[in-house]
Amino acid sequence: MTTTVVENDVDNALVADQAREITTKVDRPDLIFRGIIRTSGIAVLTVMSLIGVFLAYRAGKALNVAGWSFVTEQAWEPDSGKFGVAAIIVGTILIAVVAICIAVPLAIAVALYISEYAPRRLQSTFVSLVDLMAAVPSIVYGLWGLFFLQSNVTGVARWISTYFGWIPFLSVEGADPTDPLSPSTVYTSSTFIAGIVVALMVAPIICSVMREVFSQAPSGEREGAYALGSTKWGMIRTVVLPFGKGGMIGGTMLGLGRALGETIAVYLIISPVFIIQPRILESGTSSVASLIALRYGEATNFGTSALMAAGLALFLMTLVVNFIASSVVARSRSGAESG
Amino acid sequence: MKSATVRLATTVILTAILAALGMNAASPAQAAGYVPISGAGSTWSQNALDQWRRNVDQFGIRVNYQGTGSSDGRNQFRNGTVDFAVTEIPYGLKDGSVIDQPPTRKYAYMPIVAGGTSLMYNLTISGKRVTNLRLSGLTVAKIFTGTIKSWNDPAIKADNPGLSMPSRRIVPVVRSDGSGTTAQMTSYLAKQYPSVWNSYCAKAGRSTPCGGTSTYPIVSGGGFTAQAGSLGVSGYVSQEQNVGTITYVEYSYALNTGYPVAKLLNKSGYYVEPTPNNTAVGLQGVKINTNPSSSAYLTSDLTGVYNNSDRRAYPMSSYSYMVIPTKIEGTLNANKGKTLGAFAYYFLCEGQRQAPVLGYSSLPLNLVQAGLAQVRRIPGVEAKTIDIKKCNNPTFSSDGKNLLAKNAPQPQSCDKQGSTQCATGTGGASKTSTSVSSSGSTSNSPTTGGSTGTTGTTGGTTTTTGGTGQTTGSGDSGQGISTVNGTAVALPVSNKWGLEQAAMVFAAITLLVVLIAPPLVARRLSAGTKK
Repeated sequence: MTTTVVENDVDNALVADQAREITTKVDRPDLIFRGIIRTSGIAVLTVMSLIGVFLAYRAGKALNVAGWSFVTEQAWEPDSGKFGVAAIIVGTILIAVVAICIAVPLAIAVALYISEYAPRRLQSTFVSLVDLMAAVPSIVYGLWGLFFLQSNVTGVARWISTYFGWIPFLSVEGADPTDPLSPSTVYTSSTFIAGIVVALMVAPIICSVMREVFSQAPSGEREGAYALGSTKWGMIRTVVLPFGKGGMIGGTMLGLGRALGETIAVYLIISPVFIIQPRILESGTSSVASLIALRYGEATNFGTSALMAAGLALFLMTLVVNFIASSVVARSRSGAESG
Repeated sequence: MKSATVRLATTVILTAILAALGMNAASPAQAAGYVPISGAGSTWSQNALDQWRRNVDQFGIRVNYQGTGSSDGRNQFRNGTVDFAVTEIPYGLKDGSVIDQPPTRKYAYMPIVAGGTSLMYNLTISGKRVTNLRLSGLTVAKIFTGTIKSWNDPAIKADNPGLSMPSRRIVPVVRSDGSGTTAQMTSYLAKQYPSVWNSYCAKAGRSTPCGGTSTYPIVSGGGFTAQAGSLGVSGYVSQEQNVGTITYVEYSYALNTGYPVAKLLNKSGYYVEPTPNNTAVGLQGVKINTNPSSSAYLTSDLTGVYNNSDRRAYPMSSYSYMVIPTKIEGTLNANKGKTLGAFAYYFLCEGQRQAPVLGYSSLPLNLVQAGLAQVRRIPGVEAKTIDIKKCNNPTFSSDGKNLLAKNAPQPQSCDKQGSTQCATGTGGASKTSTSVSSSGSTSNSPTTGGSTGTTGTTGGTTTTTGGTGQTTGSGDSGQGISTVNGTAVALPVSNKWGLEQAAMVFAAITLLVVLIAPPLVARRLSAGTKK
């Protein structure tokens, strides 16, 4: 029996020297698993695109009326036909940028401390604390910002605007530092204060992404750096940070995406104005999400459509930010390794 | 150790649920057939509504109320998402170019409480809080349109001869959401000072004549601050460092935050405070729609209030209305109607006597009677015949006169327009007087102090009830309130632990678990993999 088979094989090999067709037989568990994974993947994409379609459909009425002026108009008076996202998109971006400028250095420092410096025993405690910070509801941050932070941070805002007011976006109109009776209210309800609160909300997310990446830095390279006589900071600078660059950028973008959409804390703090207001320390700013929260309840049919259009603009903006983030992460060394 | 904690937690939760189920069987809510109802709208009258809601809780009447602004309340009622709405202005008014469409569902208006839209402010002169500011209507109009920008403007100086006004900037704080308070304020401005108001409106990009509007028009860069909700604006003004701010809000918010309100000049040349008495006097000039077949039945025309020539009248007085459903449709059913009816009976009768304590003014006899008649139109209501005399409403008298208005003290001579100014404090700061420079001020006479005041400078609402006997004057009303409070306090011990409370405890525990468990589990898991 066996001999014949061997002979046959030999014969075949002699007849045609070509590759054998390789088929993988997939087991049933594998099939089921793949099915589930695929379905959930498709479901996520479907839900995303349905949201987009829904927003676009509902926004149609308003967009038809506004046309291209929707992008350039600053006022928000949908019922008199004068409305556009120029001011609110700028406001949204400014708040997010302030938030990121504060959150990223904070997050890098915390992540480095936890992964590199903290005593091993305390590490997990710190991680839990940061996670806890992410779990605090945004309304709590908002109330804290409104009733506590705002009254305490106006002094800082006044100081910055007094000494750095020559930089255009740090000046405050209507403030006169030489007049002790000038109201401190010009420093309240500003982009700056909203940005600080949002920063505290996005910092934990950025921090945990970064910490994860830093802890993945290969120990061989770390030890190599030490072997060449590096100090701890030198090792971090030459090994950990370059390795984690992708994760740092990705985490930042993730935080930015969340900062753009932050609603209720911003809603509580800002005093909405519908004009491009680039002075971040001055009272009055606006953001898409808080505008929707403020106006959807009392809006007319057309007003709701206009709000949907603003929502669509925010949706597209966030989508772009997140796509950039994921592509940056995927190209980086640490990102590529993890998937 | 961990499993032990888990077991303990489970036991606690189970016990709580079982206890709740056991207790719930006997709860009055089930017995009376009441079901929870929900409403939304005005924050102007929210302080009164919240108090009434708490009071009827003991009868098993559950009323959920969201103070999201009158515009939102009307919208939600129109869309059928709430069972009732509370608003200061009716449907069908033109706001800018848009008419606020009345709902297709059947509805009616019912007045719930009266009050004064007051001008609450935060101002200091050389570090001392001012509590006796006086303003004329025109000055108010100019302040809220950005024409008067500084506290030492000649117009304000003329209103306040006894104060050396500082050269601070005025920061008007307005509502950012659609609001009935804004509608009250802007209607007053539009009616009384049309030229000032219209030119401001035009500057803000609205079409003129502007009229009253629910969303305050804001000229960018005008130094205004906008905040959401009555709590938002009053909270902003009452922040210690926000000196120079002034806002419009119902009187009760000033009482609650302990801040003063401006006395407003009325037709006969007196500066008056929006006390419950003065509001009641002011509202005697109101013109109520008395045509029952009109869809706007019971709504009010306030022109006569603005120009009421009584010396005690507060010009910006008004009523707040509940929009009630009159037909079973949408989410409304007979049980909900019954609950809403019982709630309405409560606040139209007994609830009214608490209004003055909270910073509102009670409804007069004719409106209570009309309101009670409206209650019968709610489908499913258990119609009651209320003996009005037993309501202890401070406005009722045997001869039909509005007692609250009749007993309103005459303003002091120092409140007259001229060269003198009273030193007594107002609103929530009635106990703090401000020294005035001119000699003409009469010292704190007990009349004004007593009528406005005692209601608690610092304590807030809870402490006020004790003082009621003295404030409202009539002995029986004081007694009445204390009985209500007695039951409300006594009940929790025997009856308060129901499904709701168990659910609250459960929710609190779940929240704690959700907060604490993930890090703990993660640590446990990572510890496992490291081994």
